Amino acid sequence: MQNLNTFCQYFFTLPSILIKIMSDTPIIQIRNLSKSYGAKLVLKHLTLDIYPGQVLGYIGPNGAGKSTTVKILTGLIPDFEGEVLVNGINMANDPQEIKKLIGYVPENAEIYDVLTPMEYLDFIGKLYGMDEASLHDRAKKLLVAFGLATNTDDRMDTFSKGMKQKVLLIAGIIHNPKIIVLDEPLSGLDANAVIMIKELIMRLSKEGKTIFYCSHMMDIVEKVADRILLINNGDIIADGTFESLKQNHSDTLERIFSKLTGRGDSATETDAIINAFD
Amino acid sequence: MDKIFLSFITFFNPVLEKAGVNTDQLHEILKIKLLMDDRRPNAVFAARRQTKTNGGNARSPWVISFFTVLMGVFIGLVLFLNKMAYLGQTLYFLIFMVLMALTLISDFTTVLIDVRDQFILLPRPVNDRTIAVSRILHISIYVLRLALLQGLAGMVFIGFLDGILAVPLFFVELLEATFISIFMVNIIYLLLMKSVSPQRFKDIISYFQIGFSILIFATYYLLPRLINISVLENISLLAHWWAYCLPPVWITALNELLMHPGRSGLITGILAVIGLTVPVLGLWFVAKVLAPGFNRRLAVIATSEGNSDSAVNIKKAGKFNIIGKISNIVAPDPVENAGFRITWKLAARTREFKLKVYPAFAYVPIYFLYFVLKGKGGNISDRFDELQNGHSYVFLIYLCTFILTSILMNISMSSKYKSSWIYYALPIEEPGKILSGMYKAIIVLYFLPYCAVISIIVVAFWGTEAINDVVLAFLVSVIYGMLMALFMVKGLPFSKPVIAKQGGGRIFMSLIILAFIGGIGFVHYFIMKWEMLIWILIIPFVLINWIMFHYYKKQTWDNIELSEV
Repeated sequence: MQNLNTFCQYFFTLPSILIKIMSDTPIIQIRNLSKSYGAKLVLKHLTLDIYPGQVLGYIGPNGAGKSTTVKILTGLIPDFEGEVLVNGINMANDPQEIKKLIGYVPENAEIYDVLTPMEYLDFIGKLYGMDEASLHDRAKKLLVAFGLATNTDDRMDTFSKGMKQKVLLIAGIIHNPKIIVLDEPLSGLDANAVIMIKELIMRLSKEGKTIFYCSHMMDIVEKVADRILLINNGDIIADGTFESLKQNHSDTLERIFSKLTGRGDSATETDAIINAFD
Repeated sequence: MDKIFLSFITFFNPVLEKAGVNTDQLHEILKIKLLMDDRRPNAVFAARRQTKTNGGNARSPWVISFFTVLMGVFIGLVLFLNKMAYLGQTLYFLIFMVLMALTLISDFTTVLIDVRDQFILLPRPVNDRTIAVSRILHISIYVLRLALLQGLAGMVFIGFLDGILAVPLFFVELLEATFISIFMVNIIYLLLMKSVSPQRFKDIISYFQIGFSILIFATYYLLPRLINISVLENISLLAHWWAYCLPPVWITALNELLMHPGRSGLITGILAVIGLTVPVLGLWFVAKVLAPGFNRRLAVIATSEGNSDSAVNIKKAGKFNIIGKISNIVAPDPVENAGFRITWKLAARTREFKLKVYPAFAYVPIYFLYFVLKGKGGNISDRFDELQNGHSYVFLIYLCTFILTSILMNISMSSKYKSSWIYYALPIEEPGKILSGMYKAIIVLYFLPYCAVISIIVVAFWGTEAINDVVLAFLVSVIYGMLMALFMVKGLPFSKPVIAKQGGGRIFMSLIILAFIGGIGFVHYFIMKWEMLIWILIIPFVLINWIMFHYYKKQTWDNIELSEV
């Protein structure tokens, strides 16, 4: 935890009063966002406001349109219908400015693994136009904080999945972004690292960072997110705090999820599975 | 060498910036890409892993460089055809550019379409143009390195032919050729990416690669025998209108204009100017017009949504059912059937396997033609008459064992060998059944159809008395394949890493098997005038096959080398 503290000091940038003022204008505005692949409509007129400092838990079944939303928000998919504004900047006009504000940790752990973590972070930081001295300093401190101090100069093709994931996390926050988009960030991490990341997310949100957290792990979303967004078939079907969702639906996020996405009767499914052996 | 290239590029920074490229980012991307190239395990020579970062000079290819230079000497000889204007150099640059494009497509495609870029570069504030230009320059550096090595001999030769001043000129021409090659490969890529689905694209590229390796092989073996150099020497190239459309002609024009002003006119001047401007225009065109779409298509490759081609699957279902039924008849045992089906499906769908094995299908007829044409004297039609009266077709059929060898050498290897944990996790008591299923799949799906086609040609050409020989040779070949499989293939289908060390003992073993089968082939050749004897011999060989299959199936885990999963 000592490490975590030193690490978080790097993100003391916004005084908390400023956050209160900023909270009134959304940092991410999505209006009427639609996206289709061929004839298949993946997102249907999505409209959404996200405010600074929010930790948004973005959940939904496979194929609901989660990763498409994330890819549009991070500028990976440039052609879409509707409007995406980040910090007042329109995605259609100036995606590069938006990308500077966002840190993205992709789900599928793609990384140039013949490089060492230090080389990789050096590369990523410079793409953000960071100055070498401060970049290296920060990269080293982050690597130490994430427990990779002894591996800074080893090639990542020998790394475990969890270690690569840590490097990806560092690469996602190295430029001190305002918005952090995390897509299944805990995959491959051990229990200690999971605790650390959960705490880190809370701390970052207190610093005014906006976190966009995509996951299938309901128990973690339940604890980490202060606003939960449930998407199904390209539509938002629930939006609110965990408390408010509980009142209207069920007592755990898992149950709320299955109820709202039309899988309330999991008993019949398991019945069918058991019966298949007969 | 990379550093020189990198600092060379900084000269163009003002131009690049005007085109909308962020040069700092460009520098970083190129630096990291070149570093990764250095560490990329070389497919030809088993990777030597270096864990320490500072030993960046992991590039072993001194051997590769040597061969590239040697190749340069070989094609450089064409330059001596300099009696007629344009001819030697045009031919030289034609071969040069084809080789260049070939190396680019076959060796560099994976680097070029690195899907990881999608997740690593695109979320960062890097614009399309910077990425596109970095891609082009990355290839350029790679290719320039190649071009310099390959053109080295040419530069020396041209120095002897046209004087020392021609050398720097030749260097400029080499650059022109290189950039035009890149431009054309880029156009092919971009057009393909715009018109076909990503999955198809990768398939098409691999067929390109297969086609090219066949082409090289055929050129190497057949061209020197088919072409009479003295005929070539007197061709007046510019007498043909299409010659003006050939990029190598534009390149050559520069040399003609400055080194042989006596035999050049206004047209040569125009061609030389075209030769100088096209590479520059080409790069500009790719960066400005074609590249933006490139990344968008790449995005589709990376997203799972873009890859679902359900319509194709439905269409193919019918064809697969027939092979499925065949597999049930040929390999009725469930475990054996599983081995048959996994071999069939993985072999048909694994690109790297196809790349290594499919060229072999074309090598067989090429080899055969090579041996037929090897004889001295006589024109081609005489030789074909001679061929038809002889019995060399036996040789052709035995040559087919080459494809068996090629398949067997590759069948147990895969870059995704780790998926084979399933073999070790399941309670498979007789892994020999999987192996026999595998071997049956190879025979039924590849060897038998191939031999059938060859046999039809043979029977059509040499008459029906060849039938018994074809059948006997086929049976012997299957025995040969089984011996190879037994002693050489020690892994289950697609279960071992590609970098395999061939022990000396094994190579020795394969030579013994080859000699044994070769011996049988020769005996066959000598006894083939007794038609009846051949027919009778088929019976014991069927029996031997049956017995061998029976015992091949009995292999246990002790006979199989386990690979670490």
